[in-house]
Amino acid sequence: MAQTGERGAQARMPAWVRNLGDSLGRPVLAVVLAIIAGAVVILITWPNKTLDPFSNVLSAYGSLFSGSFGTPVSISNTLVRVSPLIFATLSVAIAFRAGLFNIGAAGQMTAGAMAADIIGLTYIHWPGWLLVPVMVIASILAGALWGGIVGFLKAWRGAHEVVTTIMLNWIAFWATDYIIDGPPFTAPLGVNQTNPLPTQATIPSVATLWNNTLGSFLPKLDTFSYTADVSIFIAIICIVIYWFITSRTTFGYEVRVIGQNPKAAKYAGIPIKRNILLVMVIAGAFSGLGGALHLMGQFSYQMTATAAAADPTGFDAIAAALLGRTTPVGILLSSLLFGGLRSGSTNMQALAHVDPNLVLILEGLIIYFMAADFIPIFRRLLPPWLRPRRKPSLLVPPDAPIASTVNGDNSEQGHYSAIGERRKEI
Amino acid sequence: MNVFFQVVFHALISSNTWQTTLEFAALLLLPALGGVISERSGVVNIAMEGMMLAGAFASVMVTLGVNHFGLPSAVSVICGLLAAIIAGGLMALLHAYFSIQFKIDQIVSGVAINIIALGLTSYLLFEIVPVGVPSLPDRLRLPVPPLGPLANIPFLGPVFFQQNVIFYVAVALLFIVQFVLFRTNIGLRIRAVGEHPQAADTAGVNVRLLRYLCVVSSGLLSGLGGAYLALGVAGVFNPNMTNGRGFIALAAVVFGKYIPLGAAGACLIFGLGIALSYALQGLGSSANISNLLNTLPYIFTLVALVGLVGRTTPPAADGIPYEPGSE
Repeated sequence: MAQTGERGAQARMPAWVRNLGDSLGRPVLAVVLAIIAGAVVILITWPNKTLDPFSNVLSAYGSLFSGSFGTPVSISNTLVRVSPLIFATLSVAIAFRAGLFNIGAAGQMTAGAMAADIIGLTYIHWPGWLLVPVMVIASILAGALWGGIVGFLKAWRGAHEVVTTIMLNWIAFWATDYIIDGPPFTAPLGVNQTNPLPTQATIPSVATLWNNTLGSFLPKLDTFSYTADVSIFIAIICIVIYWFITSRTTFGYEVRVIGQNPKAAKYAGIPIKRNILLVMVIAGAFSGLGGALHLMGQFSYQMTATAAAADPTGFDAIAAALLGRTTPVGILLSSLLFGGLRSGSTNMQALAHVDPNLVLILEGLIIYFMAADFIPIFRRLLPPWLRPRRKPSLLVPPDAPIASTVNGDNSEQGHYSAIGERRKEI
Repeated sequence: MNVFFQVVFHALISSNTWQTTLEFAALLLLPALGGVISERSGVVNIAMEGMMLAGAFASVMVTLGVNHFGLPSAVSVICGLLAAIIAGGLMALLHAYFSIQFKIDQIVSGVAINIIALGLTSYLLFEIVPVGVPSLPDRLRLPVPPLGPLANIPFLGPVFFQQNVIFYVAVALLFIVQFVLFRTNIGLRIRAVGEHPQAADTAGVNVRLLRYLCVVSSGLLSGLGGAYLALGVAGVFNPNMTNGRGFIALAAVVFGKYIPLGAAGACLIFGLGIALSYALQGLGSSANISNLLNTLPYIFTLVALVGLVGRTTPPAADGIPYEPGSE
């Protein structure tokens, strides 16, 4: 790296501290800026007139935190939000690695959930050991199909993945509403809902699992309060799978090259079309699995019409993938953050009278603060002797300086300029 | 199935269906025109949904607010209309600022705008009117202009001459935008900036300024569309009331091959789909078919993208931030 000489003063710092600072600096800055901006929104609107505005801000953020991570029950409620979000974020993130925008996580989740639901409601008499795996496989296939269409159209027809994913989202929403609203799956009394899945088609909650294993000699957990299901463990396994795919396989390497420098990928003989299709298939599979596990793990075990279009997980996932910079640890942390924001927001409304939609505003701002390069502006505001000497690396995952090694170009190239280049080509 | 075709047939010969078709076509047309302008100038705009929502919110809140101070209804509605246009424009300005000045990815910015618009309008709605906005009385809605004898022509009268005032504005804007984009100097420049900004810059065109103008005007049009939805069609504001219409408009832009008249044709087809799904909802047990009809705009657009009915290609520099001196 040519910049080694400039590091000078910072050379004494251990490498891992520097790396940590590099990878955390920007996301933390983005979150802090968004929290400040959100505070300004609360200050201006001042929703709870019984408090002074500043106490209102403090009570809002305090109740947001206590509602998401304050008590064991609230942590469990947060995990209910977090596990589908992890799947969706993995889906968006792996597409990001290839320079593709998967806006379609919501549609892929819906397709996966619907496939599992149809299997679960059709073969009611099958035993659980057969039904659950079949449902899971069906959801993975349905999600993979929904993502694969996008990959195919992108690679072979040059159709922009953003347009196709948005179209496929709405096709999935309306088509599932059609299936939900009509026979044979509609619940007889509950209009706009499917029948609940049979008991053997569901996955246990963490509390049930605990009670049946360690709980036999340790204190038992209340299964009604602790609703988090075991999909959270599967989500963490999927993060490990994601880590393995992206950083330990040739495919993951090729995908990164395609994402960061498609020209280099082309000249290196990497099969671009096949990899684009494959990456979207995997992205769809993650989403589809997440959607199905959420359906199979959460009480009522029913699908509701129009719920899919209103579910914010797909958008949260884009924010989480950006904030986590598509790294496995980043995905976990940012999913916890956004899942926590979502689950804490009702507590914030109850205690601080701040509308839960504040969370959406924070989310949009975090996206902006992550995507826009504010750091040079802040640096210019600092006096010269305080300015850091080194250029902070942007958006490129810290472990992946592919672009500079492949074509000998030292310029710092983010995902986004690479996307631009590829668009010009295709 | 026989009943289904009978209902469709009855719907198709009813002036009511065609009136609804044109109403929704115009509703989709306004943001779609905005999308065409923005994409033609080389800035991807998937944020029409958010801009519409902002416009719808501003129009209702300002109309009610101004009326609350005792000003006449007409003044309130005009203020609401202006507020909607400005709100859409401000959202678009945000998009333009980040995607042109900061050169952040235009899709990321579009996603962020949709999220912020949804969050901000819902948040403000519940902070200002915790119980929700009441349905607007007729005097606070956009009027249907009296067109005298024309409105009484059988069939054609209700379809063409009993429409909301914004419908006529939308039709006029369609021809204006089509003319400006393809028959004037400034339109040539806009298209040049979207196809090859380096060449346009060399020829003395201010690329950034033109892109700013185009993105902001897409916001103005989307905001107007939002006002039409809230003050004209629905007469109320609900959180997330656009419910994907901005995305159908995006579909119309792509399906219409980034040409205003093409987008208008797409809007007509999509509008007919919506009108038919309304007609089918009165059909009792088969009402569920309307859910399937709702997928048609998106399926049409996918088919158009695949190239079965003539491939659509976006402008060459669509989505690429302009770097002076590159290439």
